[in-house]
Amino acid sequence: MSERLPQQNNAVMQSLAQIGACGLFLLTLLAAVPRSLRYIRETVRQLWFVGAMSLTILTVCGLFVGMVLMLQLYHVLSIFGGTSASGMVVALSVYRELGPVVTALLFAGRAGTSITAEIGLMRATDQIDAMEMMAVDPIAYVATPRFLAGLIAMPLLCCVFCAMAVFGGHLVGVTWLGIDNGTFWSNMTAEVDVHTDIVNGVLFKSLAFGAVVSLIAVFQGFNTPPTSEGVAHATTRTVVASSIAILALDFVLTAFLM
Amino acid sequence: MSQARSSYAVGTGLFIVLGFAALAYLATQTSSVANVHQGDSYTVDAQFTNIGQLKERAPVKIAGVRVGQVQSITLAPGHDVAEVKLSIEKTYDHIPLDSVATIFTSGLLGDQYVGIEYGSSKQAVAAGGTLARTRSTQPLEEMLGKFFGAGGVVDNAGGSYTVRADFTNVGTLSVGAPVKMAGVVIGSVQSVRVDPVKLNAQVVLAIDKRYNQIPDDSAAAVFTSGLIGSQFVAIQPGGSPDMLKNGDEMILTQSAMQLEDLIGKFLVNGSPSDKKDAGSSK
Repeated sequence: MSERLPQQNNAVMQSLAQIGACGLFLLTLLAAVPRSLRYIRETVRQLWFVGAMSLTILTVCGLFVGMVLMLQLYHVLSIFGGTSASGMVVALSVYRELGPVVTALLFAGRAGTSITAEIGLMRATDQIDAMEMMAVDPIAYVATPRFLAGLIAMPLLCCVFCAMAVFGGHLVGVTWLGIDNGTFWSNMTAEVDVHTDIVNGVLFKSLAFGAVVSLIAVFQGFNTPPTSEGVAHATTRTVVASSIAILALDFVLTAFLM
Repeated sequence: MSQARSSYAVGTGLFIVLGFAALAYLATQTSSVANVHQGDSYTVDAQFTNIGQLKERAPVKIAGVRVGQVQSITLAPGHDVAEVKLSIEKTYDHIPLDSVATIFTSGLLGDQYVGIEYGSSKQAVAAGGTLARTRSTQPLEEMLGKFFGAGGVVDNAGGSYTVRADFTNVGTLSVGAPVKMAGVVIGSVQSVRVDPVKLNAQVVLAIDKRYNQIPDDSAAAVFTSGLIGSQFVAIQPGGSPDMLKNGDEMILTQSAMQLEDLIGKFLVNGSPSDKKDAGSSK
């Protein structure tokens, strides 16, 4: 992937070319999966970096999302006398929408940018070319492990996020606002469905978002102009493109899955 | 990153374990995986004339305790009763044959479920058997109607006289609806039927004998109490020296306003239906 994108004056053509190149890059990545099995340690290292190191921010954010959601819902539902349903609404909205989307946005900010910056700097300092010289496939060694790590990490992170959000909702609702503990859990278990909410909502969505975010991050990294300004721009583009892709894909997935 | 190799491997392992633990927590503690699992069960049929919002997998309860779920809801061709199959856990196999299956609503806005109230029969309903005695859902409209209608029925102890009034449209006015003057109930609607010749609604009002000083040019109008309330007949007194007598007809009537008409009038200032009404109203 060392060839440059064709120079286009038209902005529409340029973004189309970007999307096309991104799609082709995905195929290259997937084709390199068998070769990258040799570098399984690298995948584990990346998993540690993008997954385990993102745990702190996701745990804290999940907790606060659950807390603020419960606080808002409690005040709205108390108008109708339906505060006992607030635990269920927190769980459903987190599983179906907020959990995967917020996790993916945070993941793009926390892990996607660092992947882009790292690969971009590798390109700027000719490390990628050096790898090719040494007959080390940079796609199999650099790109695919990061992509796979993102793919594996996102659903796990999303589960942690959702669990923390439910915990935060429980903390505010039951401990502080005085919703009955039994009603909180029984309403939640009565309405949340394993298939539609947890498998389709949490797991499937976060897997799709993980693929999109990691693909964009790795792609932007590999297509970084080899200057310090280029690295800065590539990092910004990762966040912008990921955010748009996540929210647009979320709508499409929701329309298809729900 | 300056961690030793084994440290990040352990950390990654911990991360994966934590992720799966969170998934297991979500799946078991906060979702209905427990509801899906069922022990051995047997099915019982019940027929309802109206199942309302009852859905498959809705709970079946005895004394408020969940004992099973609704397996299927079908409408047999040619019948107007819904066949509901209830799947009840084997543990609860001594349900008397004459038990009553009722469709209840949990709370005002909650989901509907089937409640079984025990009868007194010694014989238990067999697997595949039928609960013959059922009570269907009460549509909210009926309940509201009873609520508003029943409250207004006048005490006819003093006897009443009847007056006829023709309306082009009575809306949802029903027999037993109150007749009010100045907001006070003075009688009730005795009958509502269509005049086969004039093709309008002929309403017979039974008015309490105590109120025999109503001018004969008074107007009768069909009003609605509140937005969702039931309809009633309001009498607006006129100025004639002659009073209404038994069997008289009220000439001036005002039909029920229909929401569609109102909106139509609002949008198209003065729709042609105004003129049609003008014949029977003032």
